[in-house]
Amino acid sequence: MKFSVPIFDVKNLSFVLKEQTILSNISFEIFPSEYIAIIGPNGGGKTTLVRMLLGLEKPTNGEVKIYGKGLSHFNEWYKIGYVPQRASLVDGSFPATVLDIVNMGRTSQRRLFSTLSKSDRTFVHDAMQKMDILDLADKMVGTLSGGQRQRVMIARALASNPKILILDEPNTGVDAASQKNFYALLRELNKKDGITIVFITHDIGVIADDIARLFTINQKAIICNNPKQTLSCEEMSSLYGIDAHLLHNHRHEH
Amino acid sequence: MLEMFEYDFMQRAFIAGIIIAILASISGTFVVLRRYSLIGETLSHSALLGVAVGLVAEFNPLWSAVLFALFAAWLIEYLRSAFSLYSDAVLAILLSGSLASAVIIVSLGGAFNNSLFSYLFGSILAVSSDDIVVIAVFGAISLFLLLLFSKEFYFIAYDEEVAKTSGIKVDFLNLLLVSIVAIIIALSIRVVGSLLISALMIIPTIAALQFRVGFLKTVLISLCIALLSVFSGMTLSFHFSLPSGATIVLCVLFIFILSLVINRR
Repeated sequence: MKFSVPIFDVKNLSFVLKEQTILSNISFEIFPSEYIAIIGPNGGGKTTLVRMLLGLEKPTNGEVKIYGKGLSHFNEWYKIGYVPQRASLVDGSFPATVLDIVNMGRTSQRRLFSTLSKSDRTFVHDAMQKMDILDLADKMVGTLSGGQRQRVMIARALASNPKILILDEPNTGVDAASQKNFYALLRELNKKDGITIVFITHDIGVIADDIARLFTINQKAIICNNPKQTLSCEEMSSLYGIDAHLLHNHRHEH
Repeated sequence: MLEMFEYDFMQRAFIAGIIIAILASISGTFVVLRRYSLIGETLSHSALLGVAVGLVAEFNPLWSAVLFALFAAWLIEYLRSAFSLYSDAVLAILLSGSLASAVIIVSLGGAFNNSLFSYLFGSILAVSSDDIVVIAVFGAISLFLLLLFSKEFYFIAYDEEVAKTSGIKVDFLNLLLVSIVAIIIALSIRVVGSLLISALMIIPTIAALQFRVGFLKTVLISLCIALLSVFSGMTLSFHFSLPSGATIVLCVLFIFILSLVINRR
């Protein structure tokens, strides 16, 4: 690998919940500017893995390091933008305009006793511009479509000026056209801005040309360093639990 | 109408009422958005236990109410995190436990009288000068902390996990919020009463949410509703000799129904 210092260094990670093994002995590294896709069957442990990377779950065994530090010693969390699975499912009655939500992306970096600074506002403006939601600034977030909400949640993540963006299937309730734009945007964030992307998805066929590596997670992990060739059908079938030929065919349709 | 301000007790009641309306409505916004609405009910009963102890031990019940409400707030957070108990069950256990203990203590101490009644339902006659000082000092500290961390509380209310992953000290701020709420509830017990205070916290925010506006406007509408309810409730309480807490709550309920009608879709 050409990069020397990994952003994430995961060693022998296991997670056991109520005597059921969710993840077993997983090790990998993620380097700056990589675009990683994570696939696997529902219940295979994808979300649990990402939650452990973010410190939201404690591993039963093993260790996660971010920029060489253990999670409890890492204090530059603003470098990580996280868009969770339910991101576009907004509580419609929550009193928040689009601007209120994107401003949240600057909250953890503000100094005590200070409101948003000029540079905070610039980051917020730039993130909204990038997501093409400037004209929605004063709209209540509960009134937006699924695709618009998705862009708002990513704008909030981008407002903190992250070095790494972690997205957990943020496509729930989003129409096909918006999804296509969304994949193009992720490609641009990765290629132009150099943002590292870790993306849990089912649509591996659509983004196969963009990604650097593919992690297939189903209790164990198989890391595929050349996703354009993807995994062999046999490996994919045993991991994914479905007929992998469908996945390959799906990919060629796009 | 203005002749009621010729009475010292009414001046004190209005000063206390205005401070409480400000504190209850602003903290109430975070409590409702955080889905903590039931905590107010439990903490107010814990504050009542503090009042019972204060009455029997013969020192200012407001101090013991603050201490007991704070202790209950911390106990709730501890029980939630240390044991896998249902949150609402923890609240129900503490609520009934506090009320039962308060009744036993007051009964044993022979203090079952009008004084306790005024703490249950609020009384504009009951606010002393000492109370005003306690309410003003603790109220100022609570308001300062609420405003200082308002952006963090707002983010946590919207999405606790994303707030946590962005580096916000969520556990500490959750504890701080329930502590502030505990103090505000204990301070409010004189004017609004322990059985009714959570209504003044929750209903103005629920009414403000009907207008479907951004966060700052929601807080401001909630504040106006709380002030209007306290002002009209205490005025009615003075003219018709009614318990102030009950009249305030009926006023806030009336405004809530109005806001539902105005914003009907």
